[in-house]
Amino acid sequence: MAAAAETTLIRSRRRRRFWNRTLQASIPYGLIVPVLVVIGVILGYPLYWLVKLSTQRYGLFELIRHQGVSVGLDNYRSVLHDQIFWHTLLRTVVFTVVNVSLTMVAGMAIALLLVRVSAVVRVLVTSGLVLVWSMPVVVAVQIFYWMTNFQNGIVNYVLTQLRIGDFFQHDWYATTFSQLSLVTVLIVWGALPFVVITLYAGLAQVPHDLVEAAEVDGARPWRVFRDITLPILRPILLILTSLSIIWDFGVFTQPFLLIGPSKITSGNYLMSVYLFEEGYFKSDFGRGATISILMLLMVAALSVAYVRKMVRIGDEP
Amino acid sequence: MAATSGAATTKTTASSITVWLQVDAQSGWPDLVAAANQQFQSDHPGTTVNVQYQNWGDHLQKFDATLAGGGGPDVIEMGNTEMTKYMAAGAFAPLDRSSFDNSATWLKGLAASGAFGGKTYGVPYYAGSRVVTYRTDLFKKAGINKLPATTAEYTADSKKLLAKNSQKGFSPLYIAGTDWYVAMGFVFDYGGGIATQVSGKWKGLLSSKKSIAGLTAYKSFYLANSRASKTTDETHPNPYDVYAQGQAASMIGPSWFTCCVGKKYTASTAQFVMPGHVKGQAIPGFLGGSDLAVPVTSGNKSLASDWIKDFTSTASEKGLQAKGNIPNATNLLGTSVNERAAARSWFVPTAKHWVDVENGNILRNMLAQILTGKLTIQQAASSASDNIASVLNQP
Repeated sequence: MAAAAETTLIRSRRRRRFWNRTLQASIPYGLIVPVLVVIGVILGYPLYWLVKLSTQRYGLFELIRHQGVSVGLDNYRSVLHDQIFWHTLLRTVVFTVVNVSLTMVAGMAIALLLVRVSAVVRVLVTSGLVLVWSMPVVVAVQIFYWMTNFQNGIVNYVLTQLRIGDFFQHDWYATTFSQLSLVTVLIVWGALPFVVITLYAGLAQVPHDLVEAAEVDGARPWRVFRDITLPILRPILLILTSLSIIWDFGVFTQPFLLIGPSKITSGNYLMSVYLFEEGYFKSDFGRGATISILMLLMVAALSVAYVRKMVRIGDEP
Repeated sequence: MAATSGAATTKTTASSITVWLQVDAQSGWPDLVAAANQQFQSDHPGTTVNVQYQNWGDHLQKFDATLAGGGGPDVIEMGNTEMTKYMAAGAFAPLDRSSFDNSATWLKGLAASGAFGGKTYGVPYYAGSRVVTYRTDLFKKAGINKLPATTAEYTADSKKLLAKNSQKGFSPLYIAGTDWYVAMGFVFDYGGGIATQVSGKWKGLLSSKKSIAGLTAYKSFYLANSRASKTTDETHPNPYDVYAQGQAASMIGPSWFTCCVGKKYTASTAQFVMPGHVKGQAIPGFLGGSDLAVPVTSGNKSLASDWIKDFTSTASEKGLQAKGNIPNATNLLGTSVNERAAARSWFVPTAKHWVDVENGNILRNMLAQILTGKLTIQQAASSASDNIASVLNQP
């Protein structure tokens, strides 16, 4: 009897412990439920519709009736068989590599410069950068457009006055290369403040005595930069590069507005512009959704490095 | 579907209707809009008219968004080249043609742009042709006593103008390089065309012999007369801005260009009909125009139709005519330079997908290639022609 009572007691204790443990283990999950719900509504629901849209024929006709026609993977097949898609992808990849490289190299150079210059110059440069940062993109595009204007742009005037050549009525929008080069200047100019200020903050973490010791040992500045500064900045550089790739790959406002809707052709598309033209101008929303999902997958693949790094930084004590 | 049928019951209680007009009305004839609103409100006391001005560049994207999400206009102004795609998709409600003023004599081209499958979806609003606006003082100073009667004479006069105006960048006749409205005028003047339907299929015409002759003539005319960018369109910059800065002796464009030539040149500005290559014949001009339509999503279709009646009344159309536009009906036509220029006109292919050709900048791109010499005329025209055919033949 006593033994039986004891086993029941032990059992009930065990059971209670089991429930306690389960409860304790589930608390963290319970705590993230609200967040999951919010993310699910804000991201998941539109994403669901995007995927659904990409499997439908959804043009103007369907838009008015609020009813698409399911076509399976036809949209994917048609986009992936579209030569313009592949040309645009290649152009966008090259464009991204050039933009990110220029942004990172120029950003690093200016950040290093900031460490060396006097306090007054540092304040001036930093204020300049912050001003660039605070300018809305659309305004910046309009000003760039005025400056590079064919008829009476200041750039042509100054270049001619400096006797660099006869730039009277030079057409900066005549070739795709020239168009995308202007877009690159605009993007790099706009991206520098964030990169410079972040890198400058990172440079403050480089221990001074370490640099001094290396110099005493006879290391040249380039060596110091390569073997001390760079390794310390690595996490920051990785994050900045990843973010720049994500931003530049999907850039829309600058190319679309600077090149101008009347000069956008399949010969100068970047991915986002291609998406916009196919989806909105041609009112082929199903195909537009397909392109946007393909872009999403590519950006997601590119972001893996960034996310992994972020997770690792989070794990560090 | 339910939304459209249920909406009909709300028409009598509506307290306001929304009208989307292009900014042209805002800058050119706001008084006519106000007059139409007043007339409408005296017929429908308590109903207000909310006029929202739109830009040509993005009004279709905005319209698409309202078709999907609601909150769209009850009346929308559509360019006549934009109508077909939307009528084919069933975006507009059919209208009772006979209820509008002068509907029996509506301009044929304009009425056709608003008709689909035997029904009327668009009410002609106004049309516009393209004329030459020029500086009388500069023409006089250059010794030009008679206005050019052919394109060849124009080029000869340009040499005289250039001799008297040697500043760099000065255009005897400013034409933006990719202004396809002007360029296609040359194509049609030489008997060419853009595309035609052969047994149900669209066939590109730009690479035909006659079209090539027109494009060749355009290129040499452009090079002799205009110092505009070879790759820019007719709104970057606006030709009248170039003219107002004294950098052009003349320009081609809608007749309302006189609005913006600047105070300095207002007195010395006049207009004439752009000649073609054959003496006595005007160059065929693009007959641009606007229609007014009622979207199927409107909850106030009969009020919307009433407002269109007021805005396209004989009085209103005469007002538009006084502002330099072509009224919507032949019985109202006068003898202004604008109306004479409309005597020879051309229009874009009336295909569902034509608007994709415009938005894809196929013609502009071809013109830029031709003028910059990136491709030969034959190469550029052939590729554009194939391109256009494939866009128009989409299902």
